[in-house]
This record gives sequence, C-alpha cells and structure tokens, in this order.
Amino acid sequence: MMEYISEFNEKWTPVIGEAIVETFQMTIISLFFSVIIGVTLGVLLVMTRPNFLFSNKVVYFILNIFVNIIRSIPFIILLFFILPFTKAIAGTVIGVKGVIVPLVVYTSPYIARLIESALLEVDSGVVEAYTSMGIKRRSIIWNVLLREARPSIILGLTIATVSLIGATAMAGLVGAGGLGDLAYRYGHIQYEVDVMYVTVVILIILVQGIQTLGNFFAARLKRNS
Amino acid sequence: MIKLTNVSKTFHTKNGVVEAVKDVNLHVKKGEIHGVIGYSGAGKSTLIRCVNLLEVPSDGEVYIEGEETTGLPLKELRAKRQNIGMIFQGFNLLKTATVYDNIMIPLRLLGLNKREAEKRVDKYIDIVGLKGREKSYPGQLSGGQKQRVAIARALSQEPSVLLSDEATSALDPETTDSILDLLLKINEELGITILLITHEMNVVQKICDYVYVMEDGAIIEDGTTIDLFTKPKNPTTQMFLNTISQRKISDSLLEELTEAGTVIRLTFVGHATGEPLLASVTEKFSVKPNILSANIIELKNGIVGNIVVHLEGNRTENIDVLCYLKEEGVLVEELNHIQ
Repeated sequence: MMEYISEFNEKWTPVIGEAIVETFQMTIISLFFSVIIGVTLGVLLVMTRPNFLFSNKVVYFILNIFVNIIRSIPFIILLFFILPFTKAIAGTVIGVKGVIVPLVVYTSPYIARLIESALLEVDSGVVEAYTSMGIKRRSIIWNVLLREARPSIILGLTIATVSLIGATAMAGLVGAGGLGDLAYRYGHIQYEVDVMYVTVVILIILVQGIQTLGNFFAARLKRNS
Repeated sequence: MIKLTNVSKTFHTKNGVVEAVKDVNLHVKKGEIHGVIGYSGAGKSTLIRCVNLLEVPSDGEVYIEGEETTGLPLKELRAKRQNIGMIFQGFNLLKTATVYDNIMIPLRLLGLNKREAEKRVDKYIDIVGLKGREKSYPGQLSGGQKQRVAIARALSQEPSVLLSDEATSALDPETTDSILDLLLKINEELGITILLITHEMNVVQKICDYVYVMEDGAIIEDGTTIDLFTKPKNPTTQMFLNTISQRKISDSLLEELTEAGTVIRLTFVGHATGEPLLASVTEKFSVKPNILSANIIELKNGIVGNIVVHLEGNRTENIDVLCYLKEEGVLVEELNHIQ
C-alpha cells in the first residue's frame, strides 16, 4: 500500500501540481477581469432601471438583453462560438491565455446579475435620504449601494468563483490544462481512476475552502446589521 | 421660509392618472413648526417630497428662503438641498455603518474636512442624547435611538429647514413623545423651521403652530392649531380630533338621559376648566348642569378645554343659559335636545 502511494506520488504529483497551478491561474485572472466587467455591468443594470438614479430605458433594455443572451449559452458552446473574438482579443485561442477571454465572457454577465440582485436588496430609503442631503449620485453608488450590499456581493462573488472553477474544467478542450482536464484525460480516457479521485478530492477541498472563506467574510460584514 | 404655490403632482401609472397632490398652497414662516395631517394615501408623502424636489411637481412653484427651487439645475438643487434636512419613518440609516459613521459619511461626502466633520458629529450626537453610543450599529439600537441618529445626521448639515416624513409613526407612544420633545428643542434652540407630515393628531397637538388637513391630495382645512382644535369645520378634521378627545356623546349615554334639557359642548381656550362658570350657572339660573364628559388638551401654544354638559331644565331657560355662556366668551355648541 505504502509502496503504491509513493509510486503514485512520484508519478502524478508534478502533473497534479501543474494542473492546480493552471486552474488557479485561469480562475484568478478570469475572476479579476470578470469582477471588473461584471460589477460595472451590474451597477449599470441597477442604475439605468426605471425610476433609479440614472434611469435610461434604452441602455437598460440593451444591457438586459445582452446579459440574457450570453447567459443562455452553455460555456462549452460559448468557447467555440466566440473563437474569432478570442483570437482578436488574446491573439491566440489555445492555452491558458486563450481560455481567459471565454471565461471572462461567460462569468461577467453572471456576476452582473448577482451584483444586480445584491444592489436591489439595499433599502431604497437610504438612497432617498442621501439624495435629500444633496449628495452626488456617484457618491451614493459607492457609499450607499455598494457599501450596504457588501455582504451579498461577497456571497455572490463566492458563487461566481465556484462556477468559474467548474468552467475551467472545460478549458482542457482548448489545451489550457487544469484539474478538470486532468481528471478527464487521465481518469476517463486512460482509466487512471485514482488520478480522477485525487482530482475530485482536490476540487472539493478547493470549493469548500472558497465557500467557507466567502461565508466568513460576508458574516463578518453582516454581523452588526 | 418654505412656500408652495399651487403645487400639483400627477402620476401616470398603468392604471391611469393619479393626482397625488392637487393645487396645494402652503407657507411656513421662519422658526415655526407646521404640520400636514391626513390619512394614508392622502398625498402627504408626495407633498413633502415636493418641498425638496425628491418629487418634481407637475405644476406650481416651490420657494425656499424666497428663492424658487423648481427648475433649478441639478448642481444648484443639490446645494439647496443641503439646507433642507429630512427625516423619515424608516430612519434610512446605513446598516453597515456605526452611529458615528452614519453621521460622518454624509458630511465627508459633502466636502467637509475631517476635523470640522468630527467636531460636528460630536456636537450633534450630544444634542440628540446619544453620547456613548457612537460605536453601536443601527441594528443594536431601539427605534427611538435610530431616529435620533437620523435627526443628528440631518442636523449635522446645519440646515435651516427640517422636513419630517412620519418620523414618529413607527415608534411607541412614549418614544414618540421623546422624539417630539427633541424636535421642539431643536426648533427652539437652533431656530430650525420644521414642516412635518403625520397621521397622528397628538403630533400636531404637541408641537405644531399651524396645521393643514389633507384629503385626496388637497388641503381641505388649515389654521392655527388652537383654531383647528376649537373650531374644526371639516368632518375629516373632526374625525382626527375625535382620536384624541371624544367630542361626541355616545347614543347609549344619550338614552340614559331621562331629564328634559339640552346637551351642549363648551370649549374653553386658554384657561383650564369651566367649572367656576358652571357653578355660577347654578347660582344664576334654575338649571342643573350635569357634566357628561370633560377633557383638557394641551397644545403647543395654549390649552383647550372641552366639557359636554347636559343642562337639565326647560327650553327657554336653557336658551338664557346659552346666551350667558356665550357672553362669557365660551364657545358653545348645542348637540342634542332631550324632550
């Protein structure tokens, strides 16, 4: 038994280690851009709503449709569907670099919806109070809406991160590697079931860790409200 | 200080056109407290939001300190709004910020430097009586304390006008009284003009100099608080008065009155009771006044006493009594005749 473990370690640790690094790379880089784009979109979706701070029917309508369209396409299809776009932006369609663009395109609208629902939970009375004080709308977005929504935003981003990790599993299809790809290639195609088990356990630990962390920070912000 | 002329507000909804405010005229002079009272749905909230243009009137003009604010560009409107504090039924505090930060954040956003802002926060926390609670979060405070934070936040901008949108409606009677005392205090000590809306007659009774009664978007009666409490004309006004003093005698009580005579209501302004007067009635006439109900309402600017009396005696003599009472400067209303 011990022999088997050390043999397994020797053979697979470098491969699994590399996959973990790839998964982290894909997740962190995509998350970074997705948060920037998603939060902006989410804020815009709320602000341009009828009767809101920057109410604008046309912008709201277009954004709403746009987000819905992208959200309708499963990642595996989106990956190929936007190949020309990916090529134009990233210069390549393979490897970690080539998968960042589709991951961001996939995750941003999701984050936008999560941010939207988090912001809509904020008591509109506070916005009214700040408006009545003569405070600028831009300041209200930062200091009332985003501030008050922080616990929900953190929980939303946690959900988005977990779903992003799920999407990276499909990145193997464009040769980006990662844990999902490892489990698929060795575990499924080459019948190395132990590799699959180890990968799955690592993924479970990863997702559990992220969720726990998210819950912790959200609860800490929410503690007093 | 605050002047609304012919202000109307119409909403176009899916279910048709709603006239929330109809042709309202209102004038609050510097240092006074005016109240708008009405049932829910009367348009009070929309009206008070027209004052600081949270709702833009469909028609009419709003003047603050003599300057027309309707039609001001957003930048100038924002500057004007800083001079108009507002408090709300739901307090509208940041849940994720401490008492201190709830007052501090708006001040900083309005461009005050840190030291000046800190001074103001300390000053107004002290005025509203929340010293020692600076680090608490709204979730840890009672309703009355939350409203105090909201009042401190409004005052910290040092406005000359304070608008109160049902500020005590979510509070229990005792807390309501303490918040009303606080509003009176800031009116007297800081000279802040107050316009409030409410559906509670005791709010008007305790702190208002002048009252407007609102129904279906229009002002149906207005006058000084004393006038409105002594000579209410509109049935809605009378209903509101009934909420704090029973002005009518119930039918069952009337049935119990067997002696012939007249039931009258005497209203006294300024002095607390009419008993010496009733005593002299018994001396001068051969009627027996039988007191059915009596109450005293303490208003901000005076006292109003109400006595409902059954005058037991014949009609002609009762008429003499009524004349005598009127000569003595008492408001007399005949309610019922008992044969």
